[in-house]
Amino acid sequence: MAEPILKIRDLSTSFFTEEGKVNAVDSVTFDVEDGEIFGIVGESGSGKSVTALSVIDLIDSPGRVTGGEVWYRNADLAEEFRGSRPEAVDGDFVDVRRLPKGVRRSLRGPSFSMIFQDAMSSFNPSITVGEQIAEAVEVQRRARANPRRTRSRTQGYGLGSAILDTFLPNRDYVSNKSMDRAVELLDQVGIPDPEDRAEEYPHQFSGGMLQRAMIAQALAGEPDILVADEPTTALDVTIQAQILNLLRDLQEQEGMSILMITHNLGVIARMCDRVGVMYAGEIVERGPLGDIFENPVHPYTQGLLGSVPDIDDPSDRLEPITGNVPSLLESEMPNACYFADRCPKAMTDCMTRIPEYDLDGRHSVRCVLAEREYDEADALEQEVMADD
Amino acid sequence: MTEPLLSVRDLQKYYYEQDTFVDTLLGRERQSVKAVDGISFDIEPGETLGLVGESGCGKSTTGETLLRLREATGGAVEFDGENVFEMGSAELKAFRKEAQIVFQDPFSSLDPRMTIGDIIAEPLRIHDMPVDPGDKSKREWRRDKASELLARVGLSATQLDRYPHEFSGGQRQRIGVARALALEPEFIVLDEPVSALDVSVQAQVLNLLDDLQTEFGLTYLFIAHDLSVVRHICDRVAVMYLGNIVELGPTDELFESPKHPYTEALLESVPRPSTGEQGRRVDALSGDVPSPRNPPSGCRFRTRCPKVIPPGDLNIDQEAYRAVMDLRDALVVGDVNPDHIWEAADPERVDEEAFIEEARARHVDVELRGAVASVVDAALGHLADGDVEQTQTVLRETFESPCEIRRPGVGDTSHPAACHLYEGSDEVEVIETTADAPVSADD
Repeated sequence: MAEPILKIRDLSTSFFTEEGKVNAVDSVTFDVEDGEIFGIVGESGSGKSVTALSVIDLIDSPGRVTGGEVWYRNADLAEEFRGSRPEAVDGDFVDVRRLPKGVRRSLRGPSFSMIFQDAMSSFNPSITVGEQIAEAVEVQRRARANPRRTRSRTQGYGLGSAILDTFLPNRDYVSNKSMDRAVELLDQVGIPDPEDRAEEYPHQFSGGMLQRAMIAQALAGEPDILVADEPTTALDVTIQAQILNLLRDLQEQEGMSILMITHNLGVIARMCDRVGVMYAGEIVERGPLGDIFENPVHPYTQGLLGSVPDIDDPSDRLEPITGNVPSLLESEMPNACYFADRCPKAMTDCMTRIPEYDLDGRHSVRCVLAEREYDEADALEQEVMADD
Repeated sequence: MTEPLLSVRDLQKYYYEQDTFVDTLLGRERQSVKAVDGISFDIEPGETLGLVGESGCGKSTTGETLLRLREATGGAVEFDGENVFEMGSAELKAFRKEAQIVFQDPFSSLDPRMTIGDIIAEPLRIHDMPVDPGDKSKREWRRDKASELLARVGLSATQLDRYPHEFSGGQRQRIGVARALALEPEFIVLDEPVSALDVSVQAQVLNLLDDLQTEFGLTYLFIAHDLSVVRHICDRVAVMYLGNIVELGPTDELFESPKHPYTEALLESVPRPSTGEQGRRVDALSGDVPSPRNPPSGCRFRTRCPKVIPPGDLNIDQEAYRAVMDLRDALVVGDVNPDHIWEAADPERVDEEAFIEEARARHVDVELRGAVASVVDAALGHLADGDVEQTQTVLRETFESPCEIRRPGVGDTSHPAACHLYEGSDEVEVIETTADAPVSADD
């Protein structure tokens, strides 16, 4: 098997809030292969979006990545830092977290790129869509001409710049060349009449069109890895189908890898080659799609799959997981399997932190059931949850 | 068949833009947005009717209008034989006791400054219930009733004095359900009751709704966009598109053999959570839902329909016809700009053939043959001269579809579909309201 493009090892991210430390991501480990779509699925608050943001280094205060490694395969970078930072280099891989800040920043665009759930709030409403995409192109162009000196637009939008603009009309950050490229990108993502649409503002686009425009923007740097955080959640099913088709086509054309974050198991099933299931900040099970959907080992994965009504076969009764998603405050996290209080198969063994068990080299699970059968004699006394 | 509990006939709800006094003074014509445009259905006692559609199709407006939470523009709603729209205030209050609603957003539909107990008891207080509290005070009776309801929806009665912010989304939705149950209604409109919830919690609430229906003999109107949920909980389903019902039928029948091309496309688009789904490529519907400000003439779905009917005398395959129709729609909405085509084909603006070739490459991505190709080329010739109107006229003369001339009606069968493909639907012709009849899209 080819080497993966991205290896995430024990990545942890915490938020330091007034109520205390919240462990949103708790030593998460996974690989993204070259040219595959890796999916992360989980409910709200499970830490899937924070995982995505941690990978591309976009965690903002009060959050901080507290540990772990992000190994990214890039022979050029590895060569460059082999001498100066040997601890950050391993073969062709570099640990992005140990690279200097400027280098990390320069990776955003040509290496990592991201699309978000809510396209409407991800665009600046006062700049045309075309210019915003051209800006992304321009940043990359200038970065290539002068590596490591990425400077985003310096132009402000206050009174001062309004006055300056009046006297100095040619202060445009974006060149015509970048603008042409933006139109090309809009065409590539299937926007009709891209020349005119590029001149329009975000509110003139429909939700599906704006999502396409955001994908165009993410493609500006020709990224190796595209992180898609709930890219279709805000869209209707017919538009969702369009966007999923588009993502798959682009992935094949550009040969990039996609890290797909979603709560929708159907989207995971349609798009992903391998998948990780997150619960309370941990990846509780991960492996090839078939293994996870056909032979799930973790009771949470089983519960999640049992909760989704099947459109082709309406069984009489859903089998939901009881209880609610736990709080992730460190002071309230038990020194046990985080799922134990909702788990129908909780045993006394579950009262310690559970390591990740490897089943067959591809499928791994964070549950004692990987090693033993469920035994009622060992069943954990479940406190009756009054809330549910 | 039993008498329906609720019967909706030709329900209309229009919103008007530019309708203020100032607009009148300035002589602006008011513009209608046809959120719900003449829909009819019945709900039998004890059944669950699902109302599905994409955002903006008018399903929530339908739910709110038939409860008279919004004033209807036209039509009639009969509840238990009485016309809801003609009720006086006393009758209306009595009706509200029988018909309740649960809203989508569990965060904004509960007053943050009231305790859960007060929220659930509020409908009882408004209706001055109970008539006879026995040996308790009315207040005590209401409090006991609230704790009973809270226990029934799976929360603990000890939480009666807590505030909404102390609960999770799923728990709040249970509180909303308890409030709707307080008056022991016969009929509940469930407006996307689970779409804000995570799947595991969603399944809990769906099971709860199911149990409550059996226990209290409730009738539901279940509004949703998630087709798997609808399949799971509904007895019959109505599919809405742009303010119209396009198909209505028993759930299993509708899901297993959908008639309307829109229903087919919707069902096809839903990603299934199973391994068979991997890499499945859906023939996605092209384009977006048109604006309800200026809906397409004839069949509302014709601008996206993969089965749009060509005129009888035209020999053309479906793919090519769809492509030509897409070109026509693009001309209508202004997505075809001759200047850009010239720019790419021949900046000197001489070579008309190059222009036509470029235009076809851009806007008609299938191979056209014979007579069809020559008509399209002739039309594009007019486009080269900058005459968009003439282009449209030439195309319309040859390609006008029956779907854009007549609006298909909903037949009167047990599983009607508003589509010209189905015999019988042609006979019922819906008369467009004259006051603001939609402009033919080609005008």
